[in-house]
Amino acid sequence: MFWRILKKDLKRKKTMNVIILLFVIICSTFASASINNIVAVTNGVDHFYEISNVPDIEVNMNEGSEAYNRVAAEPSVTEIKKLDLLMIMSSKSFSLHGEKLDTFINPAYLMSDEDMIMNFFDEDNKKITEVEKGKFYSTTVFLDGLDIKKGDEVTIKVENTEITLEYAGYFKGAMLPTSMGSSPYLLINREDYRYLDASPDMHIYDDVVSTDIFFIKTDDLPAVMDILEDYSDVSTYTPEEAKTMYLLDMVTAYILMIVSILLMITAFVVLRFTTGFTISEEFREIGVMKAVGITNPSIRRLYIVKYFAIAIVGAIIGFLISIPLANYMLKTISMNLVLEGGDTTYIGFISTVFVVAIIMLFCYNSTSKIKKLSPIDAVRNGQTGERFKKKSVMHLSRSRGSSTGFLAMNDVASAPKRYIMITVIIALGMLMTSIMASWSRTLRDDKLHPLFSIVESDATIMDTETMGDVIIEDDGYITVLDDIEQRLEDNGMPARVAVTMINSTDATYEGEHLNVLAEFQEGHFDNTFSYDEGTAPSKPDEIAVTSSVMKMLDVDIGDTLSIKLGDEYRSFIITGKYSSFASPGVRFCDHFDLTDVPKNGCMGIQVKFTDDLTQKQLSDNIEKLKDLFDTNKIYSTSEFISLNTGIGDTLESLRVLTLILTVMVTAMVVVLMERSFISREKSEIALMKAVGISNFSIIAQHTIRFVITAVAASFLSFLAVKPLSEFGMNLVCSMIGDVSSVECTYNTVEMYLLQPAILIAATIISAFLTATYTRTIKASDTASIE
Amino acid sequence: MNTVLQTKGLCKTYIVNKRQNNVLKNVDLTIYEGEMVAIMGPSGSGKSTLLYCASGMDKVTAGEVIFDGKNISKLRNKAMSRVRLDDMGFIFQQMYMMKNLSILDNIILPAVKSKKNKESRKASAERGRALMKRLGIDDVSTNDINEVSGGQLQRACICRSMINSPKIIFADEPTGSLNRSSSDEVMEELLSLNGDGTTIMCVTHDPKVAAKCSRVLYLVDGNIVGEKEMGHYDKSSGDIRSRERELNNWLMEQGW
Repeated sequence: MFWRILKKDLKRKKTMNVIILLFVIICSTFASASINNIVAVTNGVDHFYEISNVPDIEVNMNEGSEAYNRVAAEPSVTEIKKLDLLMIMSSKSFSLHGEKLDTFINPAYLMSDEDMIMNFFDEDNKKITEVEKGKFYSTTVFLDGLDIKKGDEVTIKVENTEITLEYAGYFKGAMLPTSMGSSPYLLINREDYRYLDASPDMHIYDDVVSTDIFFIKTDDLPAVMDILEDYSDVSTYTPEEAKTMYLLDMVTAYILMIVSILLMITAFVVLRFTTGFTISEEFREIGVMKAVGITNPSIRRLYIVKYFAIAIVGAIIGFLISIPLANYMLKTISMNLVLEGGDTTYIGFISTVFVVAIIMLFCYNSTSKIKKLSPIDAVRNGQTGERFKKKSVMHLSRSRGSSTGFLAMNDVASAPKRYIMITVIIALGMLMTSIMASWSRTLRDDKLHPLFSIVESDATIMDTETMGDVIIEDDGYITVLDDIEQRLEDNGMPARVAVTMINSTDATYEGEHLNVLAEFQEGHFDNTFSYDEGTAPSKPDEIAVTSSVMKMLDVDIGDTLSIKLGDEYRSFIITGKYSSFASPGVRFCDHFDLTDVPKNGCMGIQVKFTDDLTQKQLSDNIEKLKDLFDTNKIYSTSEFISLNTGIGDTLESLRVLTLILTVMVTAMVVVLMERSFISREKSEIALMKAVGISNFSIIAQHTIRFVITAVAASFLSFLAVKPLSEFGMNLVCSMIGDVSSVECTYNTVEMYLLQPAILIAATIISAFLTATYTRTIKASDTASIE
Repeated sequence: MNTVLQTKGLCKTYIVNKRQNNVLKNVDLTIYEGEMVAIMGPSGSGKSTLLYCASGMDKVTAGEVIFDGKNISKLRNKAMSRVRLDDMGFIFQQMYMMKNLSILDNIILPAVKSKKNKESRKASAERGRALMKRLGIDDVSTNDINEVSGGQLQRACICRSMINSPKIIFADEPTGSLNRSSSDEVMEELLSLNGDGTTIMCVTHDPKVAAKCSRVLYLVDGNIVGEKEMGHYDKSSGDIRSRERELNNWLMEQGW
């Protein structure tokens, strides 16, 4: 009997069933792919670190230094391995096909296969035991922007020392940076390494710096950390810190999971609605079944079996689609880590089963209405079994304007619950798209420059050589900046230049120590930074700090902090609090005297043209700068922000995907609801036709009802988008750095006009096309309606 | 007398499960102004189909329907809707109304939609209230449709059918779902309308209803097989019993 009922029902409500099926497919596809991805990456990272035999801590310090000796003497330390690295400052020391590379910004590191302090893996996840002489492996960072394939030859040339190595593929190393813009690592044969290491060229020029990294295994990590905290010139890196770099790779998965949850909620609401509709349409049949003694659970099963069939078919299709999608999502991350062996498809399968279970639970709950009906209720209640509970809330006789508009508005006002539900669904879609748009725009907006500790400027020079000059030339950096200004002047681009120097150092307050990132704005124009609290430091003995410094050292504005600059500690009064991704951070006053202050790096060199330039002239100047400095690494401020956040483009792609999905879901919800409404209002439609109301008028009335909901959804979304965008953005930013009160950027036209227009258009088109189905209802159907 | 409605060779065929079902077969019918014509016949004889085809609610398979001198059988949907809205009134067995509108709004909806009277909504509402008063339901004008009795609802439907002052009212079993007293009340109103000159075509099973009509047509298998002139019913003459007896005898002759 179930099969017969199912077959009949599936046939009778084809469109509605197809739409529900589509919902289930989308839900299970996204749920399965995103959960699979998150679980695979989370487990994969742990697995990768385990098989890589990572140390407990990575420390950058000098062999034989006091810090080294104290760590070596610590009883809990079981092993210290030293990794020799050759740090090549500029990508221009590399050439491919005879052309110098101008790709990576940060220095590249060369490693010897003799010094593989942990396990590295090749593209096929095979452990690398040695590198063939004359060949090299690289991390994927090296491949960014590079058209290289296995067998291609790369030449490394520093002064008179040159070596040509053949590319053998990329390799995966735990704790090695993977984000674009970070330092690439090259693994080479020990003989090749020795050849380079033995050359004086590799040690006497600024282009190459030899550096030591120690990998320490210990039974008591806090004890080692306690020792190292005493040394401001020592930097540490733990596996737990390293694992956070994969978070970015999971952002897409997390967003897809949120989308799938929202879709699931939508699907459930739609299911509940349609189930309720079906039951209210079939009160008479239900009454008869009850009258002849069929039990409530049996009647409920009749309805549930249909949704079970749809859920199963949808889930299977969704699961099958999710497999390639999950693989695609894992493609990038699997280039950087060895995912756990074996098939993770079962995770997707479990998610799919979970989706089916939730749908069935929801359906079971939706059929509870059956329980409340007595046989008499069901048979007596009106022609279609519906109860007239609604009161007319508006009055045609007192209204103005089009009668069709009135009827539509009156329908919406008479069934607010029904239309509020549709409004909320459409508003959720609009919100998702708008939030994504504002995030992607914000993360590429140049107004974020203070968070990256750079002054407001027109362009940033990120060329490694120039940046190296600024850092290495000790206190001669002013001369370097002067030279740059002169070069710009000579080339018809009068400008002022500035630089933000970074120094990792120790800050102390009442016996507590904290390693902080000290930043110094130097150069020929002042910053325009704003402060969350207090004022900007304006004297040499004043500083501003980020919130974590205040929290960790328990200091506040007005307190005096000791900061190690060079070999001595100096006292500074805290005048303000600021937001920054470089945290815990300390900001000094402009043009602070950096004599004898070590500099670990800089955030590029900022250029502010003194002429009042148009956008086009600005772009032209950036191109001229590229020629002048012989590098592509000249960025506008928004490009610099985008490069540093790294996720703006991903969010932009997701925004487009979300917009497409929202349009699809809105269209499906509208079609499904309108078909339900038509089915429910068949008698009224026939009556309207009988009394002479035209088809067009009826179609218009049905369409306007959805236009009202879409417009209401737009307003709802307008009201919520700013607080929600900023809440989400600040939440994420505060996790990454000491950042609060970020104001999101909105494209007014896009957010208030274009996106709502797209969704309202989708609503109108789907409502109109579906409403044309009312044409099939004839005036004479008044006779055959039960 | 002027002809209001005429059908010539009216045929209606339904195809059900690939089988042809000829419901109306060359029906010729003429209804004159001021008449109240009852259509009777056994179940499945085509009474309602005739009413729907004659009123343009359903398309005819063949033949012509001449309404107010115009052939309406070939009219497009939009034009046909306009004719129904402006010049025809409808009363159904079930008291169909828009459930989101009050009784008064239901009544004036055709007036608001029609361009015939070119009046304000306020004026339409006034006319609606006047009709409701006439039919004795003015106290329920702001009520929802679930707040009134079946008889009141059917009288409201009559008001709606009257709102655009139609040339003819089509009534399909107007008393079919009412009890006897409500049925009598509704018939009183229809007779009163007819007395005011409104032409009425009424499908009914009830000889008591048909006995009050001026003419009765008897339909069997899609053909009009009998026609009886009953003359205008005058309530004051008190001849209803004799009219009913006369009609019953005639119906028995027809095979009722």
